[in-house]
Amino acid sequence: MIRVRFHGRGGQGMKTASRIVGTAALLDGFIAQDSPVYGAERRGAPMVASVRIAEAPIFERGVIPAPDLVVVADDTLLDDPAVQPLAGLPPTGGLLMATAHSEEEARRHTGHPGALVARDFLTLALEQVGSAAGVSAALASAACAMLGLSGPAVVAAIGTELEAIGLSPDSIRANLRLAESARAGIQRVELPVRSLAAPRAGSPVVDVAYAPPEVGTPSVTARPNTPLRRTGNWRVFRPVIDPAKCTQCWVCFVRCPEGAIELDAEENPHLDYEVCKGCLICVEECPTGAIAKVREMREWAPSEVTR
Amino acid sequence: MKQMLTGNTAAAWGARLADVDYIPAFPITPQTEIIETLAQWAAAGEIPARFVTLDSEHSMLTAGGAAAAAGARVFTATSSQGLLYGFELLYTVAGWRVPFVLVNVSRGLASPITLEPDHNDVLAARDSGCLQIHAETCQEVFDSILMAYRIAEDPRVLLPVIVNLDGFSLSFTREPVELPAVAAASIYLGEYAPGHAWIRGERPMAQGVAVLGGAVYSYFRYQMQLAAENALTVHEEAAAAFETMFGRRYGLVDGYRLDDAELVLVMSNSFATKGRAAVDLARSEGVRLGLLRLRLLRPFPREAIRRALAGRRAVAVIDQNLSIGLGGITVGEVAHALYAERDRPPLLSYVGGLGGKEISDQEFRRIVSDLMLAAATGETPPPRLLFTAAEARQMQTLLSIAGKEGAG
Ligand code: SF4
Ligand code: SF4
Repeated sequence: MIRVRFHGRGGQGMKTASRIVGTAALLDGFIAQDSPVYGAERRGAPMVASVRIAEAPIFERGVIPAPDLVVVADDTLLDDPAVQPLAGLPPTGGLLMATAHSEEEARRHTGHPGALVARDFLTLALEQVGSAAGVSAALASAACAMLGLSGPAVVAAIGTELEAIGLSPDSIRANLRLAESARAGIQRVELPVRSLAAPRAGSPVVDVAYAPPEVGTPSVTARPNTPLRRTGNWRVFRPVIDPAKCTQCWVCFVRCPEGAIELDAEENPHLDYEVCKGCLICVEECPTGAIAKVREMREWAPSEVTR
Repeated sequence: MKQMLTGNTAAAWGARLADVDYIPAFPITPQTEIIETLAQWAAAGEIPARFVTLDSEHSMLTAGGAAAAAGARVFTATSSQGLLYGFELLYTVAGWRVPFVLVNVSRGLASPITLEPDHNDVLAARDSGCLQIHAETCQEVFDSILMAYRIAEDPRVLLPVIVNLDGFSLSFTREPVELPAVAAASIYLGEYAPGHAWIRGERPMAQGVAVLGGAVYSYFRYQMQLAAENALTVHEEAAAAFETMFGRRYGLVDGYRLDDAELVLVMSNSFATKGRAAVDLARSEGVRLGLLRLRLLRPFPREAIRRALAGRRAVAVIDQNLSIGLGGITVGEVAHALYAERDRPPLLSYVGGLGGKEISDQEFRRIVSDLMLAAATGETPPPRLLFTAAEARQMQTLLSIAGKEGAG
């Protein structure tokens, strides 16, 4: 069995990418299983999708703990301790990522010694299909190339899955062209085929004791209570308010789903970038166009990588 | 040809190929994809069924039961809190003896709120008069819906059937599913033509009337019990016909590597798939472990379970449910099936996978070592929750983030 784990954010199309790989594997004669997991569904929230490809019935379910290939749609996820996209990836496994950094930088930053493909699939998608959503077909195509799935199966799978989410024939054709260039030059990677999951050091079964009701009931008394899941690092684009254009209408303040916009004493809106998840609703809603969107480029410090 | 379908889409295809007439609906995660799919087909004219969104699950089940009593083939779906919201009607409509199919997508019940699966929702309905089939794979979801109509509509049964699938691990998981041709499905099912409950304008009747006196009540309620018992035979006929037409066979229970098994795990639904891997792992280490999967929960196939478990050296039931104040639910029913056996094995009880919690290799290993000890000593350890040291540590972290005094 080959196990592929996708990491992205809600809205980046990694569920569709995983489905393209699953369908391509089925078309190539394998048994496949694909499944996405979201938290409470929110655009921008980290999500995971798992694809298992095998020649015999698959006796596993849920998120893949030890993948053979990891696909990362968004390099901001690498440094998120709540996500840990590289967790469980063996040195012999493959890593595919969309990043504006170079492949050398990606190798240095991740420390992954095995097969690595790191390209700016987002820019490629923006150029070729005019939308960030193209990353989905681009990464799926590149992943299929690394897995050695056949070209015709990939083309058919992209057609099937993009049609299923309602894309027009023109848009599907553009995505197929994008998929073609995304896989250019990518070689099949020899991945270890393991029928039983690699045995892992597990954690022993323990007793659960009665706790007093202050502890043992599901209530929350702290605020803020998101240190494990800082929404500020979800952003791919950063909203930036231009005070010169702002008319203080407060539309952004009212519409922000995260409460990331606060008003100061003069009633000017300000963004809290620790909390702003980058959904860009404020950019859409601002009637005067006072909020710009700026591509996030985070600095990489090697020590930050969590795995 | 097989195609990749989620459990939810497979359920929608079940309704479509059963050629249902009426779909009363109300959304709830993780079921919504089923009714969204059916709504799209109905709006596009791809299915002739009448699709109606109701104001609640209570109304939805009322409408479904009434339509079935008027001779319509009815499909509906819900999950978790939604099933509970319609609960009164489950009992009521089952008493009308109307054979619709209700898909439940299992999701743990509040509180606390979760979206992921366990079976307290569907098992709460176990005494309602609705029959229950619990599916392990997306293919089985589809197949069970077709079989469910055939069983429900048989004049020896005439009870609603709940087909259960797990949220997330089936509902949103795609697996290869083979769908039969429309014509084959319609030959398998035939037409729904109830003789007893066909309400018409020109032929008014009262349904589920009031009775005065326990004897009359007992008579009609016990008719439901007999009808449910008949479903054991009807299931076998429906399964044989299904195999003839579609090549897949479903038993009252399902077994994996059971033939020579000395130790047996008993599980149900999609987590039974993890049980298969645990069996393979134990076998690779020389332990003769097998899996018995409960598939038909109502009627409870007591005899099939007795036959499958009698003479084993030890048996462990993993209940993905919790009857608060009792423990696992199905372990008691399995014990009932085995009690009259002279040669009954020690029966170990575990509660695991609540709210979709992973059951890790280590937890399965613990069960296997408990089973080996019980087989050697004949002694049964007390019931246990499957919960690991790592999960306990994570719990402490979350409690302190939540600001709970005394945590840590
Ligand atoms: S500030 Fe704007 S981009 Fe950030 S979370 Fe609020 S609405 Fe979304
Ligand atoms: S919506 Fe635009 S104009 Fe209105 S307060 Fe926000 S930034 Fe200013």
